[in-house]
Amino acid sequence: MEQKNKEVTITVDGQQVKVPEGTTILNVARQLGIDIPTLCYHAEVSPFGACRLCSVEVTKHGRTKIVTSCNYPAEEGLVVVTNSDKVSKVRRGVLSLLMARCPKSVKLKNLGKLYGIDEHGLWESNPDEDCILCGLCVRVCKELVRVSAINFARRGVEREVTAPYHRFSDDCIGCGACALVCPTGSKKIRIHTYATVAPLKGVRDENFGVHIDVFSAKPENGTDNLINALLTSGFKNNLFDTAIFTKRGDGYSGEVKVAQNTGEIANEKETPLLRIKMISTLQEAIDQGKRKIAFIGLPCQVRAARKIQQTLQQEMPDLDITTIGLFCRNSFNPKKLREQIKSILNIDIDKAERTQICDNKFIVTVDSQDFSCDIDRLDSAIENGCSYCNDFVANFADVAIGTIGSGHSYYTVIVRTDKGAALLEKLQLTKTPVMKADIVKLSEFKKNRAKANIDPILREIHAQRSKEKKVN
Amino acid sequence: MVNAQLDKIIDKYVGKEGVLIQLLLDIQRELNWIPKEAVTRINERLGIPVSDIYRVASFYTALSLKPRGKYLVRVCAGTACYVRGGQRVLDAAEQAIGIKTGETSSDLKFSLETVNCLGCCALGPVVEINGKYFGTATPKQMKQIIERKRSA
Repeated sequence: MEQKNKEVTITVDGQQVKVPEGTTILNVARQLGIDIPTLCYHAEVSPFGACRLCSVEVTKHGRTKIVTSCNYPAEEGLVVVTNSDKVSKVRRGVLSLLMARCPKSVKLKNLGKLYGIDEHGLWESNPDEDCILCGLCVRVCKELVRVSAINFARRGVEREVTAPYHRFSDDCIGCGACALVCPTGSKKIRIHTYATVAPLKGVRDENFGVHIDVFSAKPENGTDNLINALLTSGFKNNLFDTAIFTKRGDGYSGEVKVAQNTGEIANEKETPLLRIKMISTLQEAIDQGKRKIAFIGLPCQVRAARKIQQTLQQEMPDLDITTIGLFCRNSFNPKKLREQIKSILNIDIDKAERTQICDNKFIVTVDSQDFSCDIDRLDSAIENGCSYCNDFVANFADVAIGTIGSGHSYYTVIVRTDKGAALLEKLQLTKTPVMKADIVKLSEFKKNRAKANIDPILREIHAQRSKEKKVN
Repeated sequence: MVNAQLDKIIDKYVGKEGVLIQLLLDIQRELNWIPKEAVTRINERLGIPVSDIYRVASFYTALSLKPRGKYLVRVCAGTACYVRGGQRVLDAAEQAIGIKTGETSSDLKFSLETVNCLGCCALGPVVEINGKYFGTATPKQMKQIIERKRSA
C-alpha cells in the first residue's frame, strides 16, 4: 500500500468509521463487533479468499458487488453490507458446495444450520473428502513455520494439499501447526503432525519425556563415540542391517550416510548442527527392501521416522526401525550461520573441527583452539521451523542421546523403549548419574520458545471456538 | 552427468526472482520430463521449497513429472472432435502403441495424452504429434502414423 497512515471513512452496516486505508473489511467489521463467518482466515497469516464464506456486499461509485471481506481493502467512501439477503444467499450457496464436498464435516454442518441449510441437495462426489482446499495449512507452513513442507498440487478436480510426491517430506518438522489450524480437521493433513504412537515405556516426565532409564555413560572398550559403539554393537547382534545417519561433509556441511555393515561406520568427525535431509533417504532404503534399519536423527526426524513406520505397519509388518534421537536445541541455517560466525567471531566455520553448544555458548574449535559467543547472538541463523519445535530430548526415540547433562567424554542416555534397552544391554558402559538440571533448563527453554510461537496461532482458534459455542 | 546438465540450465536463473516456470520449461525441453533430481537440484541451488516446485510442476500439463516418450501423441477429446469420432481415433492410438491414455511406452518412444481443444475444431478429429497437426484423422490413419513413427 502506498500511504500507510492515510485514514479513510467507510460505512459497515450503517456504522461510519475512520480506519487506516488498506485495512481489510473483515478486520473493520470485527473491530465494530460485527460477525462475519470465516473458514480460511487466520489473523497470523495472509488472507487468501479461498473459502468465500466471508463474502459481503460493497458499494463503490454507485456500483454494488460481492467481494470476500478477508482480503478486500478499505477505501474512501466504501459502503459495506454484511447481512443483506443477497449476502446470505451467496453464503448459503458457498456452504452448500462446501458441504457437498465434505459431507462429514461437523463444522460445516453447524455453519449450514446457522444459514438454514439442512439438505444441500447437491451431488457428493466423495463421502470421505474432508479438505475444502482453503490453503490455511499451506500458508501457516510457509509463512509462520517457514518450512513449506506441504502445498497444493495438481489442478481442477484433482487439486489437493500434499507433500511433494505424496511422500513424507524432508522439510516437515512435524510441528502439527497445519492440523491445528485446519477448519475442517482434515485427516489428510494429520499425516504431517507426527504426534504418533510410539511403544514408549516407563515414567512420564515433562522434561525428559517417557523413559525407562536415564544416565551418563561412556563406552568401555574401543571407540569413545557412543553412537558409533551402539551402531557397531547393533550390527554385530543383528538388531539391524542398515544404519542411516548424517556425517560431516566438506566444509561445514553434512550429508546422509547409509551403512550396511560395521566397516562403514568409521570414526566420523562430529556432525554439524544442521538439519540434513534424511527422510527421503529412509524412504528410499525402505523402497529398496530394507526392513531392519537404525535411524539416527534429530527429534523432528525421529518423529517422521516413527510416523513412517506407523503408516507402513499394515503393509510391512516386518519393518523394524530403531530410532536413536539426538538432543537438539535447534539446527542452524548453514548459510546464515557461516555469515554470523564470520561477523561475530571473525572465523571461517568451514574450517571448524568441531562445533558445540555448551552453557548457552556456541563453541567453535579451529586448529584446536576454542572460539565462543553467546548462543542468543545466533538467533537470526536458526533454521526455519526450529522455533516451533518443543522437543529437546527426542521424545519419540528408542534411545535419546546428547552431551548436555554429562561431563567430558560422557554421553547422556535416555532409554524409552524395550528395543532401546535391548540395544544398550549389549554394550559395556561406565555409568554415572546425569546432571539433570542442565537438561531441564534447555528442555524448558525450547518448550517456551515453541509456546511463544504457537500461542498466537491458538489465540485465533480459541476465539473462533468460543464464538461458535455461543452461537450453537 | 544429469546434474551437470541441470546446473547449466539452472545457472542462467541464479539470483533472479520468479523464474520457476521458465526454468522448469527449459528442463522439460532438455530432458523431456522433470525428474526428481531436477526438483532437488533447483531446491539446493535456488532455495525454492520442494513443495513449491512440485506444485508448479504438477499443475501445468506442459510439464511432466513422469518420463515422456520421444513422440508425444495428443488426441483431441474436445466436444467437436469427440462427436466426429475422436474417441475411436484415441482407441486406435492406444491399440497401435499398446498403452493406455496418460501412459508412456516402455521403450520411451510414445506418450499418449488427450487434450481438450487444439483450436482447430473444423479439422476434427485432430491429433497432434510433437507440434505437427493431423486433421480429420481416422483410426486407420492413426495406426499408419504410429507405425511410421515407430520405424522412423
